[in-house]
Amino acid sequence: MEFEYIVKTEVRRISLDKKGERFVLRHGDRTLEADIRVISPHMLSLIVEGRSHLVYVAEDKDRIYVSLGGTTQAFKRPGAEEQRFEKGEEGAKEGIAVVTAPMPGKVVKVNVAEKEAVRKNQTLAIVEAMKMENEIKSPLDGVVKKIHASAGDLVDSEKPLIEIEPKA
Amino acid sequence: MFKKILIANRGEIACRIIRACREMGIASVAVFSEADRAGLHVQMADQAVGIGPPPAVESYLDTDRIVAAARATGAEAIHPGYGFLAENPEFSRRCEKEGIVFIGPNSRALELVGDKVRARQTMEKAGIPIIPGMKRIAAELSEYAAEAKKIGYPVMIKASAGGGGKGMRVVYTEEDLRPGLEAGQREAKSAFGDESVYLEKYIENPRHVEFQVLADNDGRIVHLFERECSIQRRHQKIVEETPSPALTPELRQRMGEAAKKVLEVAGYNNAGTVEFLLDKNREFYFLEVNARLQVEHPVTELTTGVDLVQQQIRIAAGEKLALNQEDLSQRGHAIECRIYAEDPAGGFLPSSGKILFLKEPKGPGVRHDGGIYSGWDVPIYYDPILAKLIVWAETREAACRRILSAMDDYIILGIKTNISFLKDIISHPSFLEGATTTGFIKSHFEGWEDKEGPEETLMLALAAAAFFDSQRTREAGVPPLRGKEAFSPWRALGKWRIGEKSD
Repeated sequence: MEFEYIVKTEVRRISLDKKGERFVLRHGDRTLEADIRVISPHMLSLIVEGRSHLVYVAEDKDRIYVSLGGTTQAFKRPGAEEQRFEKGEEGAKEGIAVVTAPMPGKVVKVNVAEKEAVRKNQTLAIVEAMKMENEIKSPLDGVVKKIHASAGDLVDSEKPLIEIEPKA
Repeated sequence: MFKKILIANRGEIACRIIRACREMGIASVAVFSEADRAGLHVQMADQAVGIGPPPAVESYLDTDRIVAAARATGAEAIHPGYGFLAENPEFSRRCEKEGIVFIGPNSRALELVGDKVRARQTMEKAGIPIIPGMKRIAAELSEYAAEAKKIGYPVMIKASAGGGGKGMRVVYTEEDLRPGLEAGQREAKSAFGDESVYLEKYIENPRHVEFQVLADNDGRIVHLFERECSIQRRHQKIVEETPSPALTPELRQRMGEAAKKVLEVAGYNNAGTVEFLLDKNREFYFLEVNARLQVEHPVTELTTGVDLVQQQIRIAAGEKLALNQEDLSQRGHAIECRIYAEDPAGGFLPSSGKILFLKEPKGPGVRHDGGIYSGWDVPIYYDPILAKLIVWAETREAACRRILSAMDDYIILGIKTNISFLKDIISHPSFLEGATTTGFIKSHFEGWEDKEGPEETLMLALAAAAFFDSQRTREAGVPPLRGKEAFSPWRALGKWRIGEKSD
């Protein structure tokens, strides 16, 4: 049985098949046999070629988090990724860059006005989260088309903050 | 001794103080904002009182509500922790007036050392070396510009009421002065409720070495040696250790004496930290007094064997300091790493959200001071510190190995943390050599990226994810998320149960 995950930006495939009491793992051209035991809802024990690995796993709505050997990784499931991609495509078709806050926080200041020309990397707004101020910069040269937030508003990382129309 | 103490704080430090109370047989009262109803400190305390909406100004910084909570619960003393009201002389004075003991310095000393500008003047008069810079607050930009010119760029903007890096900015040219001042004033206002800032000569690449001092109400003073806190990002300490690799016994003694003198001149009582910058010629300059329990206090506790929070409580209750300078010594080496909810590979942006799974490291010489648990939603309103990992070992080298090993065993899933970044700091050759200065992160970790792990680790991680997904689907009886029936584990994996061998 094959599974797909997105690691950073690359799609990775892993197959997992039962063979007696063990599982055969295939990834690229590597094949390993693993003895997999569920320890608790968030812990798996893997014994692979005699080496013991304790693996921690948890998930939220679009990611699965796996920690092993001191490294924690977040894999996206392909379904979640497709949705995001479509959203991006839509924006691209209209030719408008939608700037969002990189994290949930409070808008401290909006430095630009609608119809104002902006340069790439110009500070558009300042969003404060966890007591640190973060400058939100323009991704390109253009004109401010629409501003969706004002000082004092709480914003999250999914909602548009400012729309920039690229310079023709 | 007090029977009940209110802790006017949240997160890991509130939990730390509640522990001290428990051990001393003192009842604890937690206060919480609406965003912190599920906070660990609320769970640990004997009593808990809601004090308002999430923004700190309407809750943790609201003196009326905190005093009312103390009144309502009959708490005789308030421990402010660090941040929030910890260094607010008005709050300290208010407590004095209300007959509630403030566990910290008296309001006059707090006023003096809290006003960084006045403190500099006083210390200079007492013969303590200070960094060249403004000795008063300016009213207008032009005054700041003139002062900056006089001091010489680069200059450092500092919040007069400041600490913890909030409001601090380095300015290299005159045209950056206005935006720097504005941002500094705004940050200072939101962090301390006071927007005054001043300028100081920026000493490039110094070490940050501070001394822990305890003073009782009758003027007995001891120092508990230094902590080196040079590893900083955006003027925020992230790794602290003691002893400092840079101090000789002779220098340590001179700095310790200077630190005691600083608190003596300030008429200070309770726990305080005297911060110094140590330049490359090993000249030291008084920076400021942190009139509170420091975030990094555990490294001192582990090497001196003194419980600083319990000492604070004893001193506040009027007990005589039972420590003698001659009896204090540093044993072994301790290192602390601050665990922040932030994305080190993504510009260190704060990362709020739910902690899906937490496993704290354990083992000999490993201490974890945390305010977190599996299932907790990290709120966006407060400082991103989640916890502190502290280790003790016989030598610095052994302590480095111990904290690296502990971090390998520290699992936080669901939010991003700086753990992988901290591991790279500790294992960096310059850190291992003890070549630590405040420019360390900038010179060695600009544009840092998380290393790719070995391919086999990734393969096993993917396999674990796949196994988890198949199990999840099985338990819930729903098709897998990718919705392709062909991959249904119902067909492929057969029957198995948690804790049992798969068949």
